[in-house]
Amino acid sequence: MLEAFVFATIFCGFFGIILKKNLVMKIISMDVMSTGVIAYYVLVASRDGLFTPIISDAANGAYADPVPQAVILTGIVIGFSIQCLMLVGVMKLARDNPTLETNEIEKSNTP
Amino acid sequence: MTTITIAWIALPFLLGFTIYLLPKVDRYLALFTAFVSAGYALQLFAEQSRLTLELLDHFGVTLIVDQLSGYFILTNALVTAAVILYCWHSDKTAFFYAQAIILHGSINAAFACADFISLYVALEVSGIAAFLLIAYPRTDRSIWVALRYLFISNTAMLFYLVGAALAYQTNHSFSFASLRGAPPEALALIFLGLLVKGGIFVSGLWLPLTHSESETPVSAMLSGVVVKAGVYPLVRCALMVEEVDPLIRIFGVGTALLGVGYAVFEKDTKRMLAFHTVSQLGFILAAPVVGGFYALTHGLVKSALFLIAGALPSRNFKELQHKPINTTVWIALVIASFSISGFPLLSGFGAKVLTTKNLLPWQAIAMNVAALGTAISFAKFIFLPHKAAGEDVVKPGFWPATILLLGGLFAANIVYYEAYSLANIVKPLATIGLGWLAYLLIFKRSLLKLPRVVEQFEHLIGGMSLMLLLLFWMVMA
Repeated sequence: MLEAFVFATIFCGFFGIILKKNLVMKIISMDVMSTGVIAYYVLVASRDGLFTPIISDAANGAYADPVPQAVILTGIVIGFSIQCLMLVGVMKLARDNPTLETNEIEKSNTP
Repeated sequence: MTTITIAWIALPFLLGFTIYLLPKVDRYLALFTAFVSAGYALQLFAEQSRLTLELLDHFGVTLIVDQLSGYFILTNALVTAAVILYCWHSDKTAFFYAQAIILHGSINAAFACADFISLYVALEVSGIAAFLLIAYPRTDRSIWVALRYLFISNTAMLFYLVGAALAYQTNHSFSFASLRGAPPEALALIFLGLLVKGGIFVSGLWLPLTHSESETPVSAMLSGVVVKAGVYPLVRCALMVEEVDPLIRIFGVGTALLGVGYAVFEKDTKRMLAFHTVSQLGFILAAPVVGGFYALTHGLVKSALFLIAGALPSRNFKELQHKPINTTVWIALVIASFSISGFPLLSGFGAKVLTTKNLLPWQAIAMNVAALGTAISFAKFIFLPHKAAGEDVVKPGFWPATILLLGGLFAANIVYYEAYSLANIVKPLATIGLGWLAYLLIFKRSLLKLPRVVEQFEHLIGGMSLMLLLLFWMVMA
């Protein structure tokens, strides 16, 4: 069930990238897609249990797998920095193309 | 050796940020880093053994360095050194050198790692650094080209991440070896990411525009090494997991034919070189066992060609045919073109022979056709008019860079000196002769212009989903 939702998020993002005309909307769709991917990692980690693997007095339960969570932290940071970079690039482009329609930008910038 | 490896991976990043703090010594630090990498690669060749560094426990986060990575690292070092020499007397700021070195370091890391997560990090860092280098002139066009590059590569890497999670789920390990037994979706998603990043087959059609519209030194670096960061993991996977070897070979053949098909009809020098890069990546994948040597040769020759193409008076072949170029530049151009067509005495010859030896029977015809196409497309360069006082203005850093790269081609020739037998020499000569004949008779006059519709941004993203279906179907079959 949860898995289906996660994949729905990823696909929503991907179709947004294809269908939206505005460059900013495309970037936001990409972020939706990466949110879905991150959620998928969390889901994979929680397959065996939900407890955080920290030493404490609590009874030993079914622990979540820490590896995918640790790994996806890097993914979050990278996704965030790429998002920032792209938005800066879009700001520069917006000076000459106020609508930010990808087709228009592409037409005027390809040889 | 373990300590040396870790220090070598960390050094470019460390120096990259130091350059920003000490802008006065930017070039020296950058060049020093490239030399350190070259020294490390030579050390790998001397040791002859494989070194594996593993993270504690069994999550499969590993680094592997052996001779295969040695070839790729050497390519990276030489190309970076040449690009820095080329920019030596230009007014590039410390920012440019810092990015170039960070790009160098991230690609080095990609050549050393053997698991999906370190690879992801290395590829994304290289994507960001390449974005900054492409956008360096800050014109509208360069920003758009860079944005397009980052967007496509990031979308592909998101698919790749899902694939990595699926592969982890089955084997609880991120190493390349966990592909064995992984569900077909995982394989398809991971390969889609790597194919797009490496510019292979239809998903690599973002490459021509990006490589041809960036500045001369940047395109030399992109074509020379950055795409190989996507190709290396494919080669490594093919060597580690035999099941994917046929898949990689099919893609190699397809790419070689597709790229060369476009290159033959192209009328623009830089676009022709970019399409030709696509085809050469196919040659690397067609015979994964010897891919390293081919990558070295191609990296050297392609960055030299991009640097030379930047020194020509025009980008249009039609105009170039009426403007004689300087003979010294022409000689450099001819040496590079001969090497890439597989002429004896240059390392392109050894690489071609070695690849041909390792092909499977069903690949042989297609790869020979691709080699013929290479000869045809480089005849365009070889038959350009030239005279001693031709018009051209070469940048001051042009000659050191070109001499380094072309010298590397001559030196790499000795790696596979067994290639020099009569039968081996006759075949490339016949291919080149046939290619020139075809060029002079047919292709010089052809006016066919292939449509660029598939290279549009949205079609590239849409093409990704089609590629995903194709891959899935191939893996299932």
